[in-house]
Amino acid sequence: MSLSAKAKLSFMKDLGFPAMLSLQKAMKGKRGPRKANPDFGPPLKCAARLKEIMMRHYYLARFAPGAKPVAWVTSGAPVELLRALDFYTIYPENHGALCGAQKMGPELCQVAEDEGYSADLCSYARVDLGHMLSGKTPAGRLPKPDLLFCSNNICQTVVYWYKVMAHRYGVPLVMFDTPFNYGEIKDDDIDYMKGQIKDMIPVLEKAAGRSFDMERFMAVAELSKSTSELWGLCLETMKAKPAPMTIFDAFVHLAPVVSLRGLPVAREYYEILYAELLERVRAGIGAITNERKRLMWDNIAIWYKVRDFSELFAARGMNFVAATYTNAWAETIQHLDMSRPFESLAKTYSLVILNNNLEHRLNLMAKMVEDYAVDGLVVHSARSCKPYSLGQYDLKRILSERLGIPAVVIEADITDYRYFSEEQALTRLEAFFEALEAA
Amino acid sequence: MSIPPIPSRAEHLAAWRESGGKLCAAFPAQYPKELLWAHGILPVEVWDPPLAATRAPGHLQPYICSVVRQGLELLLAGAGDEMDIILFPHTCDSMQNLASLVGDYLKPKATSLFFYNPKAPFGQPAREFYLDRLFALDRELAGLFGPRPEGALEQALAWSRTLSGLYAKAYDLRAAGGLAVGAAEFYAVLRAGEYLHPTAFIPLLDAWLAQAVGQPSAGERIVLSGVLPGPEDLLESLDALGLVVAHDDLLSMSRRLLYPPPGEGEPLAALTESFLEMPPCSTRGSSLAERLAWLKSLAKLSKARGVVFSVVKFCEPELFDLPELRRGLKEARLPSLLIEVDVNQAAGGQASTRLEAFREMMA
Ligand code: SF4
Ligand code: SF4
Repeated sequence: MSLSAKAKLSFMKDLGFPAMLSLQKAMKGKRGPRKANPDFGPPLKCAARLKEIMMRHYYLARFAPGAKPVAWVTSGAPVELLRALDFYTIYPENHGALCGAQKMGPELCQVAEDEGYSADLCSYARVDLGHMLSGKTPAGRLPKPDLLFCSNNICQTVVYWYKVMAHRYGVPLVMFDTPFNYGEIKDDDIDYMKGQIKDMIPVLEKAAGRSFDMERFMAVAELSKSTSELWGLCLETMKAKPAPMTIFDAFVHLAPVVSLRGLPVAREYYEILYAELLERVRAGIGAITNERKRLMWDNIAIWYKVRDFSELFAARGMNFVAATYTNAWAETIQHLDMSRPFESLAKTYSLVILNNNLEHRLNLMAKMVEDYAVDGLVVHSARSCKPYSLGQYDLKRILSERLGIPAVVIEADITDYRYFSEEQALTRLEAFFEALEAA
Repeated sequence: MSIPPIPSRAEHLAAWRESGGKLCAAFPAQYPKELLWAHGILPVEVWDPPLAATRAPGHLQPYICSVVRQGLELLLAGAGDEMDIILFPHTCDSMQNLASLVGDYLKPKATSLFFYNPKAPFGQPAREFYLDRLFALDRELAGLFGPRPEGALEQALAWSRTLSGLYAKAYDLRAAGGLAVGAAEFYAVLRAGEYLHPTAFIPLLDAWLAQAVGQPSAGERIVLSGVLPGPEDLLESLDALGLVVAHDDLLSMSRRLLYPPPGEGEPLAALTESFLEMPPCSTRGSSLAERLAWLKSLAKLSKARGVVFSVVKFCEPELFDLPELRRGLKEARLPSLLIEVDVNQAAGGQASTRLEAFREMMA
């Protein structure tokens, strides 16, 4: 690591970014406020802070090379190991979501497809490969990785995708293999994962150019744990009627727990968000003005439709109050136990929703329906994501029958809107709305 | 060359059942078949059952591969009720969820078992884990059907060694231009091993090999890569067009068949070493460098001058690796062709036309 790069990063952190932000705020002031939509309650005040945090993260990222080792990481990987070694982390899935929300999905996917990547592959991967090949990104510029870190606890896709990047960038790939829980997690699984953690530390140390400090790791893990717990508490405020935020808000506000988990800034952010949500609950402020029906979302967001969908549902007095997706960064954190750090880290990451069988998911969803007083279920069948989507038809049917709530499947994709038919989705949703009103 | 009579799947299964044997529907791809044999269980592999997919689409989105779709169709047609167990090795996301869909929701009469294969790189933790998984499966099978007979596992490993020798012979002869058979016949015979018990398959393979030795027909030599050989018309096109499959890198074939046979030590430890030494494969998480080096070595060994990728549509493990593999092959002056297929659907005239153009380009 070079001293001048470190000095530059530090300068940008303390002076460069704040200056840029002030400039942006001044420009925004000139444009005037956006017109309020009467279907929504007052917007969350801390949204501005969130934007600032994420902008800062991506802005400073371009100054990280040379100052800090850079790792590209999957959303479900045990990042605490990297934080203890001071890696600057980039989350290609979060970047994919950003590109999706900015409606850049098809353009970047096309770049990857022109290089021979099938249009049938996960579009987070295609967006990322499209960025790798073209350099295009709404985030300015992403630093090249010194290391790739992935875990197949969310899917095998990330393994194939990260292998391609390791090959192209010529950097090491560290893979954390988390055996799929067909039933209960087994001692053999935990031993295997523990063994891998021990084996990967020297590889991470080499890429970071420093030694692994157990104390630092424990401090990071504590921070990570409390951040995830706070995120869980934020989600739980949506049990209130009316719910103080919608899942469409949560899709956006989950960025820090995904990308900055284990850093003080993420915890600080959720402290603010939680306080604001509690205040809204106390004051009876809902995310939407007329919350008549409460819904649950299954699968990743349709990033290019978040705004349109939130308006569509809000106009009908329907609020999404729970989602299996947003829940994923809170649901297993109770397993993290500092008296057994590696073992509990393995458990925490291996027990996430997508690494469990469908029965587990069904039970989890049934509990969420009850806990959050859900009236209906919207299932996003995401072409990109086979582990999230295969089994949804049965899941929807069983859940709907068992709990007596209406449910609908929307065929779409997370970022690539070439695979989304608005007309078909609206037709299905109209039928769903009717069933919901009749229920 | 004529293919020796191969007992049909239905005949062989019925005979096995009648003799008191147990049956296992084994889903793709890698699983310890020796352990099943040792417990008196015949693994019957489910790659591309020839059924019209009428029921499976009610459970699966159209973007799920045809191997999973056809496998599910077979179970929905009642095959799961004729089996004693259904084994799902962990191969990919789709296979993983199919296992759960069947085990959790569809619940056929047969017991569903899941077998997690560790992913590369295979360090000591993976070695220990795989061995643990073998012991666990052994216990599970004993729990279902009683302990395996004394010496049965040693016998199973002996069959495995014999088969391994025969596979190696078939592949070596073909690579050296010493098999007078086309792709259609080669795979028709070798694929009988997907359901024949070794006691039936070993003599069949042995006899076939003895009579298959000879000069192959002339043509451009290629390596066939992908998931499984076929569909049938694709193999017939290759034969008819004078594209000689000199070697393969198919998930259902050489990636599972050509590996160091289990040694003579403790049987489960020997099986573990064999598993770890299997050829590079997308589903095992092998690096692209390994896969590329492997493909180039197959081409060199068999004097092939190009590679045909016959990939199942929506197969993520294979599709992700393709562009880099093709780029690397091109740099090594090995042209390649990609054909996407659905199992049990003819590849069609368009594939044949493209194969013909590919052959002309290589000539
Ligand atoms: S969208 Fe699904 S398949 Fe793609 S990276 Fe995420 S979990 Fe994996
Ligand atoms: S064809 Fe590919 S996607 Fe389908 S089951 Fe086989 S490995 Fe999985």
